[in-house]
Amino acid sequence: MAKTVIEIPYVVELPVGPQHPALHEPLLIKAYADGEEIVKVEINTGYNHRGIEKLMEKNNFYRGIFIAGRVCGICNSVHANCYVRALEYILGVEPSRRAKCLRVLAMELERIHSHMLINAVMAEILGFTSLFMNIMLDREKVMKAKEILTGNRVLADYMMIGGVRRDIDGVKRDKLLNLLNRIEVDVKRYKKIFEEDDTLLKRMVEIGLLSRTDSTKYSFVGPVARGSGVRIDSRASDKYDAYDEIPFNVITREEGDSWARMMVRWDETLEAISISKYALEHLPSDANPVPDERRLPRAFPEGSSYARVEAQRGELTYFVESRGGANPYRVKIRTPSFLNIIHSSILYIGYTIADLPVILTSLDPCVSCMERVTIIDLDNGVSRKIPFKELANWRRGD
Amino acid sequence: MSFESKLSSLKKYFVEEQLIKPNRKVYVFKSSDIKYLFKELIDNFGFDNLYVSTIVGTDLLKEGLIRLDYYVVFLPEEVTVVFRTFISRENPVIDSLIDIIPGVLSGECETHDLLGVVFKGNPYLKRGFFVPKDIVDSKEYPLRKDSKV
Amino acid sequence: MKEIAVEKQYVTGLAKIIRYSPWLVHFNTGACNGCDIEVLAAITPLYDPERFGVKLAPSIRHGDILVVTGAVTKKAGERLKRLYEQMPNPKFVIAVGACAIDGGVFNKAYSVLSGADKVVPVDIYIPGCPPRPEAILDGIVKLLSKLK
Repeated sequence: MAKTVIEIPYVVELPVGPQHPALHEPLLIKAYADGEEIVKVEINTGYNHRGIEKLMEKNNFYRGIFIAGRVCGICNSVHANCYVRALEYILGVEPSRRAKCLRVLAMELERIHSHMLINAVMAEILGFTSLFMNIMLDREKVMKAKEILTGNRVLADYMMIGGVRRDIDGVKRDKLLNLLNRIEVDVKRYKKIFEEDDTLLKRMVEIGLLSRTDSTKYSFVGPVARGSGVRIDSRASDKYDAYDEIPFNVITREEGDSWARMMVRWDETLEAISISKYALEHLPSDANPVPDERRLPRAFPEGSSYARVEAQRGELTYFVESRGGANPYRVKIRTPSFLNIIHSSILYIGYTIADLPVILTSLDPCVSCMERVTIIDLDNGVSRKIPFKELANWRRGD
Repeated sequence: MSFESKLSSLKKYFVEEQLIKPNRKVYVFKSSDIKYLFKELIDNFGFDNLYVSTIVGTDLLKEGLIRLDYYVVFLPEEVTVVFRTFISRENPVIDSLIDIIPGVLSGECETHDLLGVVFKGNPYLKRGFFVPKDIVDSKEYPLRKDSKV
Repeated sequence: MKEIAVEKQYVTGLAKIIRYSPWLVHFNTGACNGCDIEVLAAITPLYDPERFGVKLAPSIRHGDILVVTGAVTKKAGERLKRLYEQMPNPKFVIAVGACAIDGGVFNKAYSVLSGADKVVPVDIYIPGCPPRPEAILDGIVKLLSKLK
């Protein structure tokens, strides 16, 4: 019988609806626990959602590029890229090969910094704070690289219809290659720690097992699905931008536990570094990657398109429908966290309460949205709030 | 059997074929056939070889219909195929797929909350799942074209 | 969690006491997380906030400075106000990012109270989308020097 209820107010970013984020009604993960074991999980009440889809219908297509970039700060390049490509399909515009390569470079740099961030957070949740600080310190090199390429550390605003906003010259290219080589040394070191350190392994191996069939049945995407052996990667299937020319591997693991998911991310980081280096070394010089803005049409033709991109967290899709005019008729954004987090209730059953933060972090949710957890003792009705991080060290009788 | 031939055995449900750029095939089917169509999809392909990527609902005010697109990705080729159907705007009811494919939970709940589509048989549907309280109280469906938000 | 009986010691006017060791509480009123990861980056070793005595407070009752990110909606605004009232005196508010200043890209969206200063008194505005971690630390240091 369930003796305690743990309520985790968690905020999922969904770009739908007319409202801006309503933190008061976050997603509530209600875990019912008997002693230490979780017996039932409910994911209910309101979500954090924004007026983005409605806002995009009210603004013209070009402003939508900036709105799309602000759906998620960590994934801003991939959001903007997906929206821009959906518009390019409607218009029938094809960017130059150099622009495609630069786009890939921006997105892969973002993948590197995001994966380092979530692995740092996982280390912190498990109590390994010095590893968290070290990974964050080395992550600054990636932010520097992003700044050299796009002009800003976080929000790149780099994509535009027909290409990118700025070009790079030989000096920047050498700086980027230098940074990437140094980052590669760091990432290999951290991957080794995650493979060998006992404190990390004991808390992650065999935790939150996801079977191969459940992966597709419950529509998991991204590293969560790839950690269970599902070979899906939008870069390999759609071959958008320069991915048809750059060789890379799709990383999968068979174990299906939290450790496998984090290791998939480390391996993807190494792949991202090799893709970026290849892109820099083989940068085509066919045309100016920055298109002439004045030639872009104000009103779009009729048509609808569906673009997919491999975001850091999984498959991100944009559906854009235009019925002529300067504003879109419908924009639908489906983020990967939408599927991964909402369908995750099956992953927690049978594990202890202290495993819950580990499983949730292995799904790569939005980092800064984790707040306080309320623990309600069903026997005597007492409830207390503790920080999310402390849940990972929770024991009976605390 | 190849992917094409496995899909062709379902042609009996398809009323029309369309295309969404860049290369997504759209198969239009009757909304009353939805459960039979998806049950046969699972029987032909198996749970391991397909997943429902997203459900897109669009309000077509002029035609008096709501258009539902089910985007399904087939493995191992990773091809995206769209199954499209239309339901009436005045009485938007369609069978839920949640007992066949649990992965439609998020899509159905979102479409219900924002467009007012009722998925019969889904016990998790409720207003206010996404939309904040004041919009729920005013009984508005935000993504409808005539909503006053 | 033990609560430190801070309220008894601090009285408005003795604000300069926190000058040497301000503890931050970070509140996200629903942003894109761009500003949040820069606030997170600002507490890492490269920027070394601890030389100013700045660190993240374990709970709201230990906080001296409230760092607000995100454009504030009506519901998040209520929560923000409650958080502000729970903080012991002396307390200050820093609005980080274009969205916290006036709503940013979203300021025409329906129920957005465009900006944190519609709910709580803001002492320092740090513009940017998102601002660099150095700018965030610079804003905090400017606030501390104002207290002299």
